[in-house]
Amino acid sequence: MFKFALLALKNIRRNPILSLLTSAGTVILVLVVTLVWSVLAFLDQATREKQQNLKAIVTERWQIPSQMPFSYAATLCEGAAREPDHVRPQDAMTWSFYGGTMDLRNRTLNNTVFAFALEPEKLLTMMDELDSLPPGERAAFAPAVERLKENRQGIILGRERLTLLDKRVGERIRLYGINYRGIDLELEIVGVFPPGRYDKSAAIHRDYLLSELLDKWPREHGGQPHPMAERCLNLVWLRVPDTAAFAQVAQQIETAPYYTNPSVKCETASSGIATFLDAYRDLLWGVRYLLVPAALASLALVMANAISISVRQRQMEIAVMKVLGFRPRQILLLVLGESLILGTLAGLASAAATWYGVNRLAGGIPFPIAFFPKFFIADDALLWGPAVGAGAALAGSFVPAWTAARVKVTDVFSRVA
Amino acid sequence: MQQETTPPNVARPLVRIVGVHKYFRRGSERIDVLNGLHLEVGEGEFFGLMGPSGSGKTTLLNLIAGLDRPSTGEVWVGTQCISRMSESQLARWRTRHVGFVFQFYHLLPVLSAYENVELPLLLLPLSARQRRQQVELALELVGLKDRMWHRPGQLSGGQQQRVGIARAIVTDPELIVADEPTGDLDAASAEEILDLLEELCSGLNKTIILVTHDPRAASRAHRVQRLEKGVLVDGRIEPASRH
Repeated sequence: MFKFALLALKNIRRNPILSLLTSAGTVILVLVVTLVWSVLAFLDQATREKQQNLKAIVTERWQIPSQMPFSYAATLCEGAAREPDHVRPQDAMTWSFYGGTMDLRNRTLNNTVFAFALEPEKLLTMMDELDSLPPGERAAFAPAVERLKENRQGIILGRERLTLLDKRVGERIRLYGINYRGIDLELEIVGVFPPGRYDKSAAIHRDYLLSELLDKWPREHGGQPHPMAERCLNLVWLRVPDTAAFAQVAQQIETAPYYTNPSVKCETASSGIATFLDAYRDLLWGVRYLLVPAALASLALVMANAISISVRQRQMEIAVMKVLGFRPRQILLLVLGESLILGTLAGLASAAATWYGVNRLAGGIPFPIAFFPKFFIADDALLWGPAVGAGAALAGSFVPAWTAARVKVTDVFSRVA
Repeated sequence: MQQETTPPNVARPLVRIVGVHKYFRRGSERIDVLNGLHLEVGEGEFFGLMGPSGSGKTTLLNLIAGLDRPSTGEVWVGTQCISRMSESQLARWRTRHVGFVFQFYHLLPVLSAYENVELPLLLLPLSARQRRQQVELALELVGLKDRMWHRPGQLSGGQQQRVGIARAIVTDPELIVADEPTGDLDAASAEEILDLLEELCSGLNKTIILVTHDPRAASRAHRVQRLEKGVLVDGRIEPASRH
């Protein structure tokens, strides 16, 4: 067996340019498949329903983006519980999205900040991934949260955002409201998010935004409310212990008499994300069912072409091997083995390079949809990258291998004679 | 029919061709290549087969080597009727019972001399040690043990053919078929190869069937027959042309 594998390896070396080009084609196509599958797998995982310790999202029922009055917040955070037997959420968090720029006249992505306005303590208990930080990272991040609690004009920034703004912790920034026209915030940078998901994000104290919006604005505008005053609650997150509790809380909220204009809906985080992703449905469908199969088919064709050329060039050798006693099955396995080695190695190289390049060098793929600022290549890619290469190689080389196994010795020799 | 040298074991034929016809079809046309052939080649005999191009020499050789099957008739090698074997059985049989020497050597260019000779042994249930012993012995017999790690491209034509012969004998087959083994060699190398084949026949009692156009090569055979239009005729070689 080892000798057969060695023979297959030596056959790959016989035409280095052909093998190199085939490997390059495989590397590129496996790279495409790895990237696409990573994003799809990430979204699949995000939209997969959890059974326990799940989060529910309450949003405006009929509009995206959701914009609810802040008066909904208190009761929604209680799960609209109004009877003794009603279920209350274990924890809750409100989100108000504030977009601001440091330079209103010359607004660029680099001087713009998109911040979650929330209760600071919820950063460590309700925010995805921050609520499950390893002890070391949690201890390092907690002081920033404390500073934000103490200083309602504080802001916590992601590392990339801090770099883009060219600021350091302790410095002050002024943000001019983009979605909250006229609501400008004077902020002190009190900390940074742990590296990862929130690298480009920002968090501010909810109370600061609300006081500027609901108190200061009317005071300075003859009692007139700000246009966003009744639309400043974007999302409410609720933590519930299990699916039964979720169903109960959702039912409580959706039947409560408090939320009529606008009406609200309660769904799990995963189905909320799925709803959000609905806008990308056609794109994702195309990627999943057209792009990936097309890449796999191309990969198989590249392999088929290369192995066909190789088999055609070696017809005489194959005939000689048959004369020596090699059976058709052994010739078939030898040719399949060659493409298997080539596909597996190229697939592994591609997946490993993609994994290292994206996860370690680039720090993720910037593809900001559904609150995911970046996607990372799953560690599994190191397994299924080679598997994709091997599978496509096998599929592509089967016909050439079959042709090789069927080579008729007398025909080959009669052509030589 | 027979040349002047008597084959050593003519009473015990190793190869028996019994009433063999072979034809091919090209569309509706039938092309008869061998017509009712009868032939016996004795154990340990050096048999030469001559004939013009298209006379059916290679077809006959292919039948004897188990690379093809007759349209009618039987081919026996030893006690086995190989014309009744399936392709898979023939492949197994070839590994153990016949060695093939080609005109153009047909060594695998990516393998060393050692690995080329080892190739048929990969099909047999032998340990690595046993394989190594047999390969080294075969290369020693052809005088190329010192070149065993050379690739075919690093060897002369004569040396490549000797590696081809080592590959043919490494499984210790009783029959060696050689199709124009000197056809691509200069005179000196051709003589060396013919010497080697003679040695295999006389020293190791191998039965050798040599197909050639070259009367000098044929003159080394114990017996020569000519094939003309699919029929065997006398193949006497002038003594003057012998080595």
